[in-house]
Amino acid sequence: MTEHAEELELRDRLSLIESMIAEGRRTTESWGWTFVFWGVAYYIAIAWTALYHWPWAWLVTMAGAWVVCMIIIQRKRKNQSVQRPGTTIGRAIFSVWAAMGVSMSVLLPALGFSGRFNQNIFVAVVAAMLGVANGASGMLIRWKAQISAALVWWAATVAACFGTDNQCQIVFLVAIFLCQIVFGVYAMSCEARVRKQQGALHA
Amino acid sequence: MPDLPELNPVIHGKLRLALLSLLSGVEEAEFTWLRAKTGSTDGNLGAQLLKLEEAGYVSVEKKFVQRKPQSNYRITEAGRQALTEYVQALKALLGGAIGD
Repeated sequence: MTEHAEELELRDRLSLIESMIAEGRRTTESWGWTFVFWGVAYYIAIAWTALYHWPWAWLVTMAGAWVVCMIIIQRKRKNQSVQRPGTTIGRAIFSVWAAMGVSMSVLLPALGFSGRFNQNIFVAVVAAMLGVANGASGMLIRWKAQISAALVWWAATVAACFGTDNQCQIVFLVAIFLCQIVFGVYAMSCEARVRKQQGALHA
Repeated sequence: MPDLPELNPVIHGKLRLALLSLLSGVEEAEFTWLRAKTGSTDGNLGAQLLKLEEAGYVSVEKKFVQRKPQSNYRITEAGRQALTEYVQALKALLGGAIGD
């Protein structure tokens, strides 16, 4: 074998290592839809509360949305021909969102039952928690778009503390639109692009 | 002239190298996922994984999920170390040619 052929083979080995490591870390799971889904769920809860003034509207909507979300995730996983392995980063991101979900499901009903609930506190707490989850996820995967979503949530937290009831409501609606609907659609389009590229590579 | 490092023969095989690299990026992986990523046959994949297991570079956990057998593979500390040393040896062999 000539020296040049040997060098080519060694280079080939090096690029094989790089491509396989990247392949292992690459996520094929789609999460963009969950942002849109939860954004719509927030809007339903807000509309339900505003129209019927039913105090349980948020709790019932969130519980229902959680059940539907879990069913969709389970179905999507069942339809996968090959189960994707977990990565440390994937587990870290899941942990952040799960912990946020538990915090919200503990704190918000407690605030409601204690009678210390008001709209400004509610929006400030929800926005701050969503800021933490988006910020941590964005920093973990170094995704500027998600870090920007976190910044919007944190700005909404501050605005909710100082604004009137109406201003607070508007801030919340705008933040949901930007950070759930717009960001979710953007995430879905990014995922579709990645899937297309992967499809082309494997073709 | 300094001595050039030797490449670890256990890792140097193309499929074994691909498997160890794949496993280095995940916590653990199922046999079927490894098969899909490498495009290998069951027999060849099983044989190469066994070689890596015998060398102590991967560990396997066999279990039944919904009555179906499932083999989960995980890179060991020794495997990670061997892969790191292999990459360093490769870079040393390629020397100044890297980054051209």
